[in-house]
Amino acid sequence: MSRPFPYTYVSCPCADTPVPDPARKRRSRESPQKQTPERTEAAKEVDIPKPQQTDDENGQTDDEEQTFDPRSPRSNFSLYPPEQLLYCEDCHQIKCSRCITEEIVSWYCPNCLFETPSSMVKTDGNRCGRNCFNCPSCTAPLAVSTIENVTGNGAQQGPWVLSCGYCMWTTLDIGIKFDKPTNIRNQLQKMTDATAQPAFDTRSRQGSRAFGDLKSPLSTLTSVADGQAAARDGGEGQSASNEDTPENTLSNTDSRFAALKSFYRTQISETSNSPNDPMGSDFGFSSPGALNRLMSLYASSSRLSGLYGGNKKSKSKPPVMREALNASEGLRIAPEDEENAVIERLASEGGWDSVASIEQRSQQSPEVRFVDELLPLPVLLRTKRAKRCKSCKHILVKPETKPQSTRFRIRLIALSYIPLPTLRPLTLPSSSSSAPSTPSPDLNALSPLRPVHVLLTLKNHMFDPVRITLATPSVTPGRVASKVTVLCPQFDIGANSDVWDEALQGASAPITGDPRLTGLRGHEKTPEAGKVWDKGRNWTTVVLEVIPGTLPGSEADTSNIGNESGDDKAVSGSTQDQDVLEIPVFVHMEWDAEAQLEQQNVGKASKPDDLVARELAYWMVLGVGKIQASL
Amino acid sequence: MSSSSKFRQSQPTQPASPHTPQQQLRSGNTSFASNTSPGSSFRNEDDAIIFEMGARWLRAGFEGNSSPACVVGFGPEESRRVGDYRGWIEGSAGARPPPQPVDAEDWAREYELWRPDLRETDLGLIEDKIERVFREVYNQHLLTDAGTSRLVLVMPSLMPHPLLSSLLSTLFSRWRFPSITLLPSAPLSATAAGLRSALMVDIGWAETTVTGLYEYREVVTKRSTRAMKAVLQELARLLGGLADEKKDSPEGISVGFKYCEEIACRLSWCNPNSQVDDNKFQNKKVTIPSPNNPEQEYIEVPFSLFADPVEKVIFAPGISESELDDEEKSIPLLIYNTLLSLPPDARGTCMSRMVFVGGGARIPGLRQRLMREVSQLVDQHGWSPLRGKAVERQRQRLQELRISPRTNGEESPAVKPKDATSPSDSERPDPSQAVPEIDFVEQKLRRQNKDTPTPIQGVFREIESLGAWAGASLMTGLKVRGMVEIEREKFLQHGLAGGTRDSEHPVPDRRSGLRAGDRSSWTLAGWA
Repeated sequence: MSRPFPYTYVSCPCADTPVPDPARKRRSRESPQKQTPERTEAAKEVDIPKPQQTDDENGQTDDEEQTFDPRSPRSNFSLYPPEQLLYCEDCHQIKCSRCITEEIVSWYCPNCLFETPSSMVKTDGNRCGRNCFNCPSCTAPLAVSTIENVTGNGAQQGPWVLSCGYCMWTTLDIGIKFDKPTNIRNQLQKMTDATAQPAFDTRSRQGSRAFGDLKSPLSTLTSVADGQAAARDGGEGQSASNEDTPENTLSNTDSRFAALKSFYRTQISETSNSPNDPMGSDFGFSSPGALNRLMSLYASSSRLSGLYGGNKKSKSKPPVMREALNASEGLRIAPEDEENAVIERLASEGGWDSVASIEQRSQQSPEVRFVDELLPLPVLLRTKRAKRCKSCKHILVKPETKPQSTRFRIRLIALSYIPLPTLRPLTLPSSSSSAPSTPSPDLNALSPLRPVHVLLTLKNHMFDPVRITLATPSVTPGRVASKVTVLCPQFDIGANSDVWDEALQGASAPITGDPRLTGLRGHEKTPEAGKVWDKGRNWTTVVLEVIPGTLPGSEADTSNIGNESGDDKAVSGSTQDQDVLEIPVFVHMEWDAEAQLEQQNVGKASKPDDLVARELAYWMVLGVGKIQASL
Repeated sequence: MSSSSKFRQSQPTQPASPHTPQQQLRSGNTSFASNTSPGSSFRNEDDAIIFEMGARWLRAGFEGNSSPACVVGFGPEESRRVGDYRGWIEGSAGARPPPQPVDAEDWAREYELWRPDLRETDLGLIEDKIERVFREVYNQHLLTDAGTSRLVLVMPSLMPHPLLSSLLSTLFSRWRFPSITLLPSAPLSATAAGLRSALMVDIGWAETTVTGLYEYREVVTKRSTRAMKAVLQELARLLGGLADEKKDSPEGISVGFKYCEEIACRLSWCNPNSQVDDNKFQNKKVTIPSPNNPEQEYIEVPFSLFADPVEKVIFAPGISESELDDEEKSIPLLIYNTLLSLPPDARGTCMSRMVFVGGGARIPGLRQRLMREVSQLVDQHGWSPLRGKAVERQRQRLQELRISPRTNGEESPAVKPKDATSPSDSERPDPSQAVPEIDFVEQKLRRQNKDTPTPIQGVFREIESLGAWAGASLMTGLKVRGMVEIEREKFLQHGLAGGTRDSEHPVPDRRSGLRAGDRSSWTLAGWA
């Protein structure tokens, strides 16, 4: 029901091959995985808690006749719109996004379309390092603008802010102004560092900047202003590192994390300098560890050894890492009245709007609670990705590297190989006896138990004619049992030959592609079993007769209402769309392809017009419409 | 403290030493290892990627970062078909009330990846969801090629094997991860708090776990079903009652899940004082979107309403302890029982290192309240599991004899420092306020290592943690290896059954930690 009716989905055949869990005894039909050896008893134990599950899946793999159920919650993960599927020419199989592997070709900002070099992606924290920001409140892109009304001569001056054109949020709401309109990300980074973390260790300052700061020590491209700022920062940090930080200033996650990290690093290095570390015995005398060891051999007094390694106790006891003890080591004792203030604020300020929503919060650092703590979000980068077949590693899609280009070097989409299914309701003239008198049935309100005819057109894009066999369960799976009949389950589709061929063939095949014309032709036609409805150069239309079932619990339904609650649990995930009429159709196509230059054929020195029979089978799902509750 | 901190600061100022300490701990017992360049012992220069999996949310990011790059949930929007844009067209599914009241369990089911009870779980569906969420996280947030770098999974230490097996085989068969490391979440949360021992209170989705952690080892774990799911269901019932007073069905829930969760996240709170008479918020009103029509209408609701579900679920007021089943003890009781079952030494250490993590820990006031309630329990009962009238009588008699019944819980009462800022310290009569007995062994020990600071113990104290994800990031960033490192080939051969069940698996000591070779077998350690 995702798209307007009627729609078609194709199920990727990979859904039939379950994840080959080595612990479960399961045959995977098509995967090239080698047969797993016999399991031990232990593996069987694992099987026991889910006998039903395993049976189901085994049933699916062993039994080809298993009907695809479009309403099972799992099918959501294997159904794709036909245009989103790929096709691997080597495996001769449809490939969905689950059966490919992806490789990133380039990173770019979707806002400014600048490509980010791969070396910068990590340091930028996967976000745009320029001036692209999203509104933290509504995720619309933010624009850089001045506060001052610039009058005349275009003097671009004054403090700058980021403002959202959609929800009118500006950085003024959180009290942030920028000195210059460029390099906003750096400026913002500096501000948030300075406000959230007054003064701390130099090391932690460096560490906390790891998230997306452009100013790495190795970067030579820092502007003069940046350099100055860095110097200032450094000075600050050094002066600050001498004085003891008061507790609870380390509320910022970043700085606490950095403090913890440096603490652990120190602890590890201190404790691993242990004199009786058996592994340390091979270092030369030049290393301080060896020196330590010698010293402690002769003078085991705690005074001497304490000089070197920190808190070493004695020879017999290797030092253990201790825990963090104060705020500068990352310890934070929960303050007592912090949360009272939060509660009061929740109660006082008309609560709801002052608190950030879950969605807003999920983009921000974890401690954000109120709206005025939201920071503008640098735009998340996007990637262009090449796609390979997972089993044979052939490239299926390769885009051009440049972000501005929308072209692809290689793109093997499935629609060039499988027929494009389209569906439309059959409008029959009112004189017809079998059809309802309504000129065209409203697909959003199909009346139950009243037959509807739909036309399924399959359009071939290959240069070979294709034989199609359609199969469908006579009754759709699920709780709403609709009866489906494909009036002509076997038919051929012509090759996608030159368009001129058709035109030159004369009037024998008129321009029947136009649906309106088909409708007109329908005046003389009635749907007939075993006959193709219509046929063109590379397409064929057949009729499906559908009798929509009745919705359980509706007035049309007279059957067991009492039983519902039991069923409900089993299919609770799918009750939402139960009125949607979806028909699973199994498509089996056969065609004689020209043998490509494959190895075996080359070896056999085959004739050039050698034909290879190919077949492909998959399930597709036709979304016909919605069933009305009432008759 | 002062001397040690001096050393700590002086440590990084020796960069001229022949080898960095980092390298030293990586190098093995062979002499050539110490001469190689620091990078050579690492197989993979790529940063490991850390995923923290829970029933509701998944956090993912790179090692060494302080917070995950993304947090994604598992909702019906996430399990739609490709090309199904209903969530965008009609608004999120859970925002509007369901057409008819639904069962409280079904109401939440769609939003969970798994639930502890696997009997009615479709593992295949979980595999599908995991595959999709990992793929999308890699493609949209991490922006690296999946499967190239090491994967670290932070998991609860109790995972059903079928689930674990599904998860691992999905990941291994879908991508080419060289190895997957499993790390237990409770010790990582302690790491992220800077602690080695702690009492982790994880107020999670399906259940609250209280773990006594001593020197990074999980000593005791107790759990209760009083957790955020129950809070949410309770709140939903309340909101449903607001929507229409007439149709008051106690069972069914008639508000949208998303809507309810939004309200719970934004407004739920807990009175930090156990006395209910706090009139401060009695007549405060807040305006929230109406449960019936969240997009357009607003209703005014007393602010105290948002404290009620928390109160009712977490603390179970008015229900005596004997009424509660084992799996539904109130959280203060659960914490107290966990502390009680710890050995006295560990108890003293853990009680002054209480760490609250999980979604419930974000509810303002809840942690303070829990601390207070637990210390009240201690005041009431001491550290004795005996209850009842006879015990009470005996205790009174003993108290008349001025023998404190609580000294058995305090092995070293002397070490309680006065400067410890415990939230409950000032109010309650501390059981260790009794005159400290002078223990000459303790004193001697303390004289011997003057430079090591005495650990705080025996008082209630709450420490804040950065969370398990940050802990894993710390650990991995420091190249500390986990016990459970599952290599691709070995898993694909034997699955979970390939792991040795031997609990005495040789610990991969960080000092002998050569990458390959010493890993002929792998273990599931705690997960086995």
